[in-house]
Amino acid sequence: MLTALILATLVQTTLPNGLEVTILPDPTMPVVATQVWYHVGSANEGKDNRGLAHLFEHLMFGATTTSERGGYGKFVTGVGGEENAYTSPDETIYVSEVPPGAENEILRREADRMRNLSLTRENLDNEKKIVTEELRLRTENDPTSRLLVQAQRALLGEHPYAYDPSGSKADVAAATVASCQAFYDAYYHPNNAHLVVVGPVDPERLMATVRETFGPLPRGGTTPADVPPLYGWPFPSGFELKEDIPPVEVAIIGAPLPQADAKDAMAIEVLLEVLAGGSVDPLHEIVVARRKKAIEAGIETIALRRGGGIVFYSASLPYRRKTTAMRVLDEAIQELDRMEWLTDQTLAAGKRRLIEDDADAFLFAAERAEDIGTSRWWLGDTRFAFDRASRISAVTRDEVAAAWRAYVRDAKWIRVYVKPEHVPAYIRMFGWLYPLFS
Amino acid sequence: MVVPALLLAAQVLTWTVDAGTRGALVEDHRAPLVVVTIEFPVGTWSPWARAHDAADAFTFQDDDPQRALRKRADALAATIDLGMGRRSASMSIRCLKGDLDATLALAKDVLANTRYDEHELKRAQRERKIRWRGKETDVSFRTDQAGARLFFAPEDPRRIPFEKPEPVEADVAKLVATRDLMIRLPGRIVGFAGDLTLEEAKRAADGLLPASDAAVPDGIAPHLLALTPAGSRPRESDIKMRKLTQVYLEYDRDSLPWDDPRRPAFLVADHVLGGHFYSRLYVALRHDAGDTYGAGTSEAGDVVPNVYSASTFTRAENAGPIEAKLRGVMDVFQEEGITEDERAGAISYLRGNRAFDRQSAGQILRRFLMERRLSLPSGFFDEQIERASTLSVGEINAFIREFYDPGQFSIVRAVPE
Repeated sequence: MLTALILATLVQTTLPNGLEVTILPDPTMPVVATQVWYHVGSANEGKDNRGLAHLFEHLMFGATTTSERGGYGKFVTGVGGEENAYTSPDETIYVSEVPPGAENEILRREADRMRNLSLTRENLDNEKKIVTEELRLRTENDPTSRLLVQAQRALLGEHPYAYDPSGSKADVAAATVASCQAFYDAYYHPNNAHLVVVGPVDPERLMATVRETFGPLPRGGTTPADVPPLYGWPFPSGFELKEDIPPVEVAIIGAPLPQADAKDAMAIEVLLEVLAGGSVDPLHEIVVARRKKAIEAGIETIALRRGGGIVFYSASLPYRRKTTAMRVLDEAIQELDRMEWLTDQTLAAGKRRLIEDDADAFLFAAERAEDIGTSRWWLGDTRFAFDRASRISAVTRDEVAAAWRAYVRDAKWIRVYVKPEHVPAYIRMFGWLYPLFS
Repeated sequence: MVVPALLLAAQVLTWTVDAGTRGALVEDHRAPLVVVTIEFPVGTWSPWARAHDAADAFTFQDDDPQRALRKRADALAATIDLGMGRRSASMSIRCLKGDLDATLALAKDVLANTRYDEHELKRAQRERKIRWRGKETDVSFRTDQAGARLFFAPEDPRRIPFEKPEPVEADVAKLVATRDLMIRLPGRIVGFAGDLTLEEAKRAADGLLPASDAAVPDGIAPHLLALTPAGSRPRESDIKMRKLTQVYLEYDRDSLPWDDPRRPAFLVADHVLGGHFYSRLYVALRHDAGDTYGAGTSEAGDVVPNVYSASTFTRAENAGPIEAKLRGVMDVFQEEGITEDERAGAISYLRGNRAFDRQSAGQILRRFLMERRLSLPSGFFDEQIERASTLSVGEINAFIREFYDPGQFSIVRAVPE
């Protein structure tokens, strides 16, 4: 009932300059979330400007022609709010959450930095140093991240998703004021953006502010070329990696999934929830609990706008042979193909879990704003943020089974094996005794 | 129509469930969800809990050999999380309102389960060993570990999370006996948040837990040892780690207990020094010269002292200059204090930011349970902010001169091997 009342006040429009605007007033919320989605991400970069989407995210907190460097953040902090930004392969999002009343100033500042950023050599050089430290922190000095960066490159080859959204140190070093200005002029325009506001706002008054602040900005730039879908990409059949991880060997079998707006995307989402979304992982039950062939095993999924992936993995002490570990996984997937995990009851439970997660997100302004932004950019229409429950409910058991057969059982598998760089002598010598005592 | 003020001023309704159990409710009917948190008054800081492997006893109780309990939770679309904090063990439940009765029946069965999965206990022990080895390359863990070793004696429970963990207890009879005792201790609370009325919550709480008839054993309360005095602590501690390309610095002292009367002054001081993106540390170490990506302050807060840190990191070759800058910011802060503008900005931030943990009834319940766990009066944290707002710059700077005395701090460095 409350949902219906709130939806009745939803405002959706596109300004003449192309800016898409969604305002969801909800007087029950104590904070206002604003998000500006620029439909450009690291996957839209080329060889000559790799790392720029993320570097640019940093530069957007610099000075504008009307505001000092850091003015945006200082304003938000001053009212007790929170602000941040995220660069993914598919988009760059500028987010803030503020107490009611501060949203008009946020919109003024977002409009200001959309076109009035002052790109200076001094600020760029400083941000390049900061981003380089971020890269050292996030990728160089964390073994798991190092492994993921290696895996991403080995798996995806020349696909635009192959590159870490933060770029490399060399990419960052190569950025110039001219290349940053070119990136800004190409992609930071109202016609490549979606403004989302959720919270206790007066929609008419806020819309007037939107028209006043963003309305005068000119249409411009270019629309980034779309990223090729992952499904159908020529992946390698497999590869091996080595990293400074704890002393386990990890066998992985994976397959790509279609893009977020595929016809059967909802069936795939329900499939993944029924299979891997509960507290009992069916692969763990087969490989670890029943067959005792690994220390850990499970199913993981990844979702990007232009495709995703499903991964079956097992981790064993480093005495087992790669071929054995892979065979165990193959046998477990064959067992899963009997589809004992898919019954009317498990299907209903999986759907309810998805609906429950949505109900929880419904309470938080930022999460609802993100749902709206994602629905627009990944699925093609904001309405998908509001009719998820009915779309989830409509998925049938046959559709889930068909998705399993098409994207898992009949997939061309990619096999990855990960080894640790250091194995303690006692495990090398006595690890083979492990099965005798388990 | 519900208005925003409803959650901002939400009341926590409380009642007596039985002689050893309280009930609490925060109503919110916007979504058909219910959160239930059951807290038992024994945590990892309890000597009894450690001696009896209570954390294992509590957290493995939903793992029966056939996963029947977890499968029931999955079928109900419910989550049941079991955890043990410093001062309490908690069962956290979330489900759709329509599934509440069946989910609470499942929760009762979890608390009565005597069939722990022995294979899972053995597997968990191997996993625990492997995860411990993984900590060797976790720079954040290693610096926190070095900090804990500076401040706490080996047997102090504040240090134990940073030392090699005990093996998982595999004796099921022992685990069951321990779990059975800990869930029968008086001092329990059943908290509800979400789409239910007081009458519904009271009905749900009745009979949910076994009688609270256990005699309180010796050693159940947290027992902490004295901190290593500042004069006896090493002033520096270096950790060498393989493959590092940066140095990580933590400038540590003992934290101020949350109920210390100086805490309101600390809230303002800490916000100005390292509590936000344009704090003194962020401006000096990141924005002014790009030495780092991150800088700030943090604490493992409680009503007893823990570790308070000002931290940052930078490329290895910049180690000396950034340490000098970090110390310089701290010294100037201690000597000169804050300005009136900074004081006003901090108060504005602290007041405005209160709305963020009032977005859901679950958040409000969590805050209430934390205050209760720490024996703080209800509304304590809001009151601290109001007290802070009455302090003058002079009063805050007097606190800063004392608390940020360089003689109280030690530095931890993680450096390339």
